Amino acid sequence: METAISAGIIGIGLGAQYALLSLGFTLIYGILGVINFSHGGFYMLGGYVAFAVVSKLGLPYPVAVIAATLVCAGLGALFELLVLERHIDDHLATMMLTMGLYLVMGTVLVLAFGTEPVEFHSPVSGSWRSGRIYVPYANLVVLCACLAAIAGVYALLYKSNLGRALRALADDRPVATALGLPPKILFPAAFGVATGLAGFTGALVTPILSLHPHIGDSILTISFMIVILGGLGSVVGAAVAAFVVGLVEAYSSIYLGGSIGALTLFLLVLITLVVRPTGLFGRQVRAA
Amino acid sequence: MHRKVSSMARVFEFVGRGEVATIVVLALAFAVPFATSSPLVFSLSNQILIATIAAFSVYIMLRMDLLSFALPAFMALGGYAIAVAAKAGITNLVALLLISFAVPALVALPLGSLVLRLRGTYFVLVTFAFNEVLQLLLFEMPAITGGSNGIAGVPASTFLGMALSSNQAVLVVTCVIGVLAAIITAGVTAFYRREFAAISENETLATSLGLVTRRYKTIGLVVSAGVAGLAGFALVNMLLTAHPSSFSTLSGFSYIVFAIVGGRASMMGPLLGAAVLTTATLLFSSKGEYSPALYGMLVIAVVMLARNGIAGIRLPSLGRPYVEPGADAQSFKREGKAI
Amino acid sequence: MARLCRAAIIASVLALTQICSDANAQECEAKVGVVGPMSGGAALWGLSARNGVEIAAAEFNQAGGLPMGEKRCKVVVVSYDSKYSAEGAAAAANNLASQGVNVIVGPVGSPEATGIKPVAERNKQVTINSSFAKDAIGPQWPLAFHAVAGPSAWAKPVVKMAKEKFDIKSIVVVAPNDQGGTDTATVAVDTYRGMGIDAKEEYYQRGTTNFAPIVARIMRSDPTAIDVCTAPPGDAATLVKQLLEAGFKGTFGRLGGVATDEIVRAAGGIETLGNFYWLESVNVEPAHLEAIVAVQKSLTQTPANPAVVAIFAASGRLALKAISSAGTSSDGVKVAQELRNLSIVDPWLGKGDWTGMPSFGIRQEFGFPVGMGLIVKGKNLGVSPVSVVGQ
Repeated sequence: METAISAGIIGIGLGAQYALLSLGFTLIYGILGVINFSHGGFYMLGGYVAFAVVSKLGLPYPVAVIAATLVCAGLGALFELLVLERHIDDHLATMMLTMGLYLVMGTVLVLAFGTEPVEFHSPVSGSWRSGRIYVPYANLVVLCACLAAIAGVYALLYKSNLGRALRALADDRPVATALGLPPKILFPAAFGVATGLAGFTGALVTPILSLHPHIGDSILTISFMIVILGGLGSVVGAAVAAFVVGLVEAYSSIYLGGSIGALTLFLLVLITLVVRPTGLFGRQVRAA
Repeated sequence: MHRKVSSMARVFEFVGRGEVATIVVLALAFAVPFATSSPLVFSLSNQILIATIAAFSVYIMLRMDLLSFALPAFMALGGYAIAVAAKAGITNLVALLLISFAVPALVALPLGSLVLRLRGTYFVLVTFAFNEVLQLLLFEMPAITGGSNGIAGVPASTFLGMALSSNQAVLVVTCVIGVLAAIITAGVTAFYRREFAAISENETLATSLGLVTRRYKTIGLVVSAGVAGLAGFALVNMLLTAHPSSFSTLSGFSYIVFAIVGGRASMMGPLLGAAVLTTATLLFSSKGEYSPALYGMLVIAVVMLARNGIAGIRLPSLGRPYVEPGADAQSFKREGKAI
Repeated sequence: MARLCRAAIIASVLALTQICSDANAQECEAKVGVVGPMSGGAALWGLSARNGVEIAAAEFNQAGGLPMGEKRCKVVVVSYDSKYSAEGAAAAANNLASQGVNVIVGPVGSPEATGIKPVAERNKQVTINSSFAKDAIGPQWPLAFHAVAGPSAWAKPVVKMAKEKFDIKSIVVVAPNDQGGTDTATVAVDTYRGMGIDAKEEYYQRGTTNFAPIVARIMRSDPTAIDVCTAPPGDAATLVKQLLEAGFKGTFGRLGGVATDEIVRAAGGIETLGNFYWLESVNVEPAHLEAIVAVQKSLTQTPANPAVVAIFAASGRLALKAISSAGTSSDGVKVAQELRNLSIVDPWLGKGDWTGMPSFGIRQEFGFPVGMGLIVKGKNLGVSPVSVVGQ
């Protein structure tokens, strides 16, 4: 019984991390139609910027997190403006471009910080314990940040002018542009928000786990899977799918083992998509 | 007015200039094993040929505007199938060719019926998940697959009683597989050119006009899987080992890059993409820690500068020989409504 | 007059260059290859391997060159990135063969060793790999050598010491689900069981960053010890951190590549770590370690793993000695013959012997002594040498 509760707690913790990651990915995909292969790269960059601010500049951790978010947002917006914008309609091209960026980012991080993990601890330590069940306080911080981020992104997209403009551009670019919405400013902004989120997640989560230049490799898989599972074009869907995936991973890994657990997860994804081809919350829209 | 159309012109019209050129280039590759004995040239040629065959598999699906990440899985099915067969005593080259094509093709049939109704990005993800599942199955079934160690010491293939185990013979076998794969690819893309194009342009419209899209997508997937199996055979033949690390998601992704960066308008694209990027990877390998960045920058440069891929680069005297007249940068249609 | 002067100058310059090129023509080259992962997750090992061989080469070059018959030749190191994959290693071998380099120190990883051996055999190249693969060498590859003692050689003596020191009753061995993980984990588990310890294997999906579920699974079986086997340093560090978070109070073990610094850091210090035993693939005295770090830094700015540097420096020295005795660096079979006649002794790694018969069926393993490190009750007791000869 204790194990089942522990599994649930672990699953929610995983879900929070995955939700934070997928939010950025779903923003870029939903609005720009770009599969961002450098998503993991921005996650790592956020972690390293935060690490550098804390250890080299000696500034407090919250400042480091903000710095990480801003650096990643800025870099992302710049990359979109200079490189992606010209090819924004060709989805295969943007995939290649972001993949190229990921390779370059990875190498730069290796050259700057080395290939081995760096020592980056969370300022929040200790856990709440009851018998065998435990919840590290740092995980609670991540969970709160996650919920705040989900609320923030939702508000941005559905309650703000920027969000309305972005959705309009995504729906029908020619008409939106004709009505005066400038894609050349809005698209980099959207990309920047998404990469900023990735950096924010990296700064928050890597101190709990570990920080080295290869943690980005598996980020893309998980984000991609969650966004599709949740259904394209649904922020709520991505969030829900993140927690579902987190819980499934936790329970299957604990009861079936790491390797078989991963197999179970992927099989479930396959089956879900076969049964519900547009994901849990997606809407099938026919292109006329 | 009676116009004489030469049979050559008819072939060009049916199959496409790019396709014929590609098959000719691959046939010319047979000269390499006899013109030189440098292990480097053999190794590079082998790698380029294998990459080209894999890129053909991606290309077939791209003709329908479908991006399949299941490539490494089908390669693994083909490669492991012939490894098991060769170890069990079946080493005849023709038999192995058939097995390496048939096994993944047969798996693709039921898979197709399940996943081909998915559109666009959903399809991409499902093929990705299928690939991960297969990798994990390879690990979990060590009795058949050798688990994480793979199947080592695969006997070389034989033809007319001769064991094809020397460096030269291995390259000849790879050339044979290459030409076979090219003919199959050219054949299927030419025969179903219009159907694939219709599915690529606007699947809903095509279905409403009476095209049984499901049938053609399945044909495309099955042939694509078979060609991938051939690539797997060539890879296992070169290494004499069926190892899971040869069929990783990362290597699969490289082949996709070759096909896209090379150009999507004709078969020349995958060939050029494979040749250029494989050579680049080799050159960058001696730069150690800088190699991923160099490769990334190369990909970015090509995509930025060559809109139709490497095959679409405007050559001063030849114009743009390998782009279909009227073709613009083909775009991957976006499915589903955005936020 | 001016024309005569100019002619004289040109003539003397030509004469000088002729003399110089004659001198150069007497300078020959002995090429040795290094193959390893120089990008990607295992890059540190490949780069360290390269450093090690370059150190061995520099030693001979600074002494005037490698003696080859009557001449002294300059040692040239040619390196290739094998990207931790079978094809990468096969391609590297073919590359080197076409440059006439038929003595290869490396590769490092298990998939690489698997990929290179058939190709090297075809090309008649000597390889000296450091992988922990179950089939790292074998009678079907007579030109393949093993640079260090593998798990089948060191498992028994090391596990015996651990069991005696920490009174281990049950253990869980954790490793990634790839060849590097399974080859070592299976040997380790068998050895633990052979000593009467209740042992279990747990494999995790490569690429996992959050080990909380695995930790929960391990804690369910309540082991007295946990061996993180060959999990890469980042993974091992996170595992230890999360195990301590979950309340694990037992002994930690690391019978795989060295990751002690990362694990101690992740635990938050030696006292928090408590009891820990680890394997050093070779035993290098602390004084030598400082020398290694200094020499390696003088050659390149790239950070390196001193143990791997030492292993590859040793293999490089032995390979070069064999090349010197054979008088050629392009005849792999001849070099292998001479290599087999050398004794297994190295200024940094100490004295060992040829091993490999019981594990691989061929006596072509450099059985240098390994090291066993111990942290007992929060106190670092250092590394003690363990012999692998006479198993």
